[in-house]
Amino acid sequence: MPRYLAGRVAQALLVLWAAYTVTFIILNVLPSDPITLQLSAGGADVSQLTPAQLHDLKAHYGLDDPIVVQYFHHLWRALHFDFGMSLTQNVSVGSLITDKLPSTIALTAVAIGVVLVLGLGIAFLATYVQWRPARVLLARLPAVGVSLPQFFVGLLLIQVFSFSLTWLPATGTHGWRSLVLPAITLGLPPSAMLAQLLTRSLNDTWREPYITTARAKGLSRWTIQVRHALRNASLPALTLLGVLVGYTVVNAVVVETVFSRNGIGQLAQQAVLGQDVPVVQAIVLIAAALFVVVNLLVDLLYSLLDPRVARAGRAA
Amino acid sequence: MSTSHRHRTRRRLAATAVSVLAAVSLAACGSGGSSGSSGTSAAGGTQDGKPVPGGRLKIAFWSDFQSCIDPNQVYWIESRSIDRNVADSLTDQDPKTGKIVPWLATSWTVSPDATSYTFNLRKDVTFSDGTKFDATAVKTAYDGLHDLGAKSTLGLTYLAGYKSTTVVDPYTVKVDFATPNAAFLQASSTTTTAILSPATYKETPEARCAGKIIGSGEFTLDSYSAGKSVKLTKRAGYAWPSSLIANKGAAYLDGIDVSYIAEDNVRVGSLTNGTIDIAWPRQPITSADQQVIKASGATIQTRALPGIIGLLIPNVTAGRPLADLQVRKALYKALDLTSYAKTVYWDGYPVAKSSVTSTTPYAVDQSAKLVYDPAGAGKLLDAAGWALGSDGYRHKDGKKLTLSYLTNAAGPGDQLVQDQLKKVGIDYQIKVVTAAQLTPTGNAGDWDLSGGYLTRADPSVLGSSLDQAVSKQYTAKYSQDPATAAKISALFAKGLSTADPTQRAAAYKDLQDALIDNGVAFPLYDRLQTAGVSGKVHGFAWTSESFLRANDIWLSK
Repeated sequence: MPRYLAGRVAQALLVLWAAYTVTFIILNVLPSDPITLQLSAGGADVSQLTPAQLHDLKAHYGLDDPIVVQYFHHLWRALHFDFGMSLTQNVSVGSLITDKLPSTIALTAVAIGVVLVLGLGIAFLATYVQWRPARVLLARLPAVGVSLPQFFVGLLLIQVFSFSLTWLPATGTHGWRSLVLPAITLGLPPSAMLAQLLTRSLNDTWREPYITTARAKGLSRWTIQVRHALRNASLPALTLLGVLVGYTVVNAVVVETVFSRNGIGQLAQQAVLGQDVPVVQAIVLIAAALFVVVNLLVDLLYSLLDPRVARAGRAA
Repeated sequence: MSTSHRHRTRRRLAATAVSVLAAVSLAACGSGGSSGSSGTSAAGGTQDGKPVPGGRLKIAFWSDFQSCIDPNQVYWIESRSIDRNVADSLTDQDPKTGKIVPWLATSWTVSPDATSYTFNLRKDVTFSDGTKFDATAVKTAYDGLHDLGAKSTLGLTYLAGYKSTTVVDPYTVKVDFATPNAAFLQASSTTTTAILSPATYKETPEARCAGKIIGSGEFTLDSYSAGKSVKLTKRAGYAWPSSLIANKGAAYLDGIDVSYIAEDNVRVGSLTNGTIDIAWPRQPITSADQQVIKASGATIQTRALPGIIGLLIPNVTAGRPLADLQVRKALYKALDLTSYAKTVYWDGYPVAKSSVTSTTPYAVDQSAKLVYDPAGAGKLLDAAGWALGSDGYRHKDGKKLTLSYLTNAAGPGDQLVQDQLKKVGIDYQIKVVTAAQLTPTGNAGDWDLSGGYLTRADPSVLGSSLDQAVSKQYTAKYSQDPATAAKISALFAKGLSTADPTQRAAAYKDLQDALIDNGVAFPLYDRLQTAGVSGKVHGFAWTSESFLRANDIWLSK
């Protein structure tokens, strides 16, 4: 197991390095000059500068070094969690991230809770309930959830729960109450995906020979569902969940805009449109780190749920 | 959920449905026009009772794109609105007359050639860090603003030709220019030239942007988190407002809380349900939203923003369709500005009449030159060799008459122009690029029309977009051939070379004529600043540049 773990961690670090390097190459190959961008973000124009001023500005942002030097310089600093200054926002990337990450993390964590409760709940009921119309209805529900656009769901929830019933705030990042509506909005589509997959996988499991054996032994439907079917059916769902965690961070931008939450999603959108290279790079790295960590956790859970996985890893 | 609770909820939903229906039917009966007055209007004004001190004003803007709060550096309208209440300037401008009135300066003299300004200063003013306001502070501030260079987009033109500031005596200061700058007196009333405490200029420009600024205004900046929130606290002992302000002492409000809500209907909903007191968007509030706001007991405040009107600016490079003056003349006739105002905004929305908006001093009505005449446009295009083809578009030498419009945010107005131009056989292509790519693409010159507007209560503001002698912007570079540019730049220089209002008026009339006669600028839409203001807000006022003025605001309990 330790060897398996070490291998996976090394792999994770490699993925992070690759993500950083690819972003660096892409952003520095784009046909635009960071200084022009920096000035145009301030509404000014590079052609208004004298060559001397231009040189000073480039030196100020470390843009006068050869690209390879810049790369190692930035990589070294990134290893120390120093991502330099934002080109458009006048503060360090680090302070931007620490300012905006907490609200996004809180939002994502609650949204994942929504995904687990809704996704598991619907799939469980859809395969457990025996009354046919309810089964059909529950099985169709995920398709509706997936096809509802998030901004529409968000605006609808605000209209009903904030403006009409005035139960929950429509905007802001203060307290748990401001998390409820955005988390539901963010969690709805992924929970529908999870429910769809899990329903399918539970249905398949119910047709397995060992379920027939369990039934023959006289176990109740409840015991079979909880003890045998769910455990076996949850493996593919777990993989999907790993992907969905990354998906919620990426999708935070829509929800953050609708609910006026100034988080990482909005920052990412601004940074991409403004080609704020250091900020984009830091965010890509954070997203990649999140993906890597969650998938590592999923893989480890996998080997707990299904010992064959760890054994296969060792054999290879 | 208990039964009684469920009933209550249902009743509440029913009540909401009724109120929504009421709003809709009101919208149907209403004229759809804008309400509220212009100028230094008050939402009810101070007349409707004695001002009550206390309370915090909650205001929501739409965005904080520039992520900067330093008055010397920002061009972003929303930040300037906040700054107006944190930092004072030497002079103030009357929104009704455009006249410059005393503020931190009690009087001033201007040399006839507009190269030298001498200000006499108030002696009782302090910055919020306790530092005394005097001639040295003014010198530090103006030198500091000038040192910002290109970092201050507006400062660059406001201080055009700046030579030096001299301390004559502790309360007299002289500002000298190498070239005439008649617009400087107006500039001295703006947030851009606001005087900050000398300590502020020891901070880096980035730190100032991020909130390290100290002013002498009726509020102090408590905290600024870019794009998220701004908190202002009332300055105790404030006693030096400009003569335009009724309240001569400290602000009535305890403070102001600013938030940013990007979605229009969330912002409007937050106003109607009382979460915020003022909803302040960039685009005018739609007539449907206005009805909803009015139905909730709030008012709509409206004022035309002074400065460059919403313009289309041509690229007249040889070989491109708009190089031909006759095609540009046809374009004026092909644009239906009246229906643009009515369709994109509402019935009764002001129609564009010149290259500057109606509230800009020295604005001249040019509507006689901007009459919609599609038949006339067709005739001009025929004469210019662009013949109507079977596909509904005009062609010449096998080339289609295509005009590509460069923008970073296409709106319904752009589609309306596309539709209007199609009627005379012009193929209007909307080319959308990201904000970061706008300037590089503009500089590359592969476009036929681009847009532009800028807020300043002086017509010289047009120079920042159109005067090749001072502006390096692509709009200036591509919109005039050398002969036209010489003519236009001479008129800009004439407007700046005299302090005499009559001569300035004549120069800017000639300039506004020349911009249209030579096809340099195409006025498209007038610019209104609207704000939804809750019924409990009293004493709401605009500055001459249509920013928020919070000195007289008080909240009823």
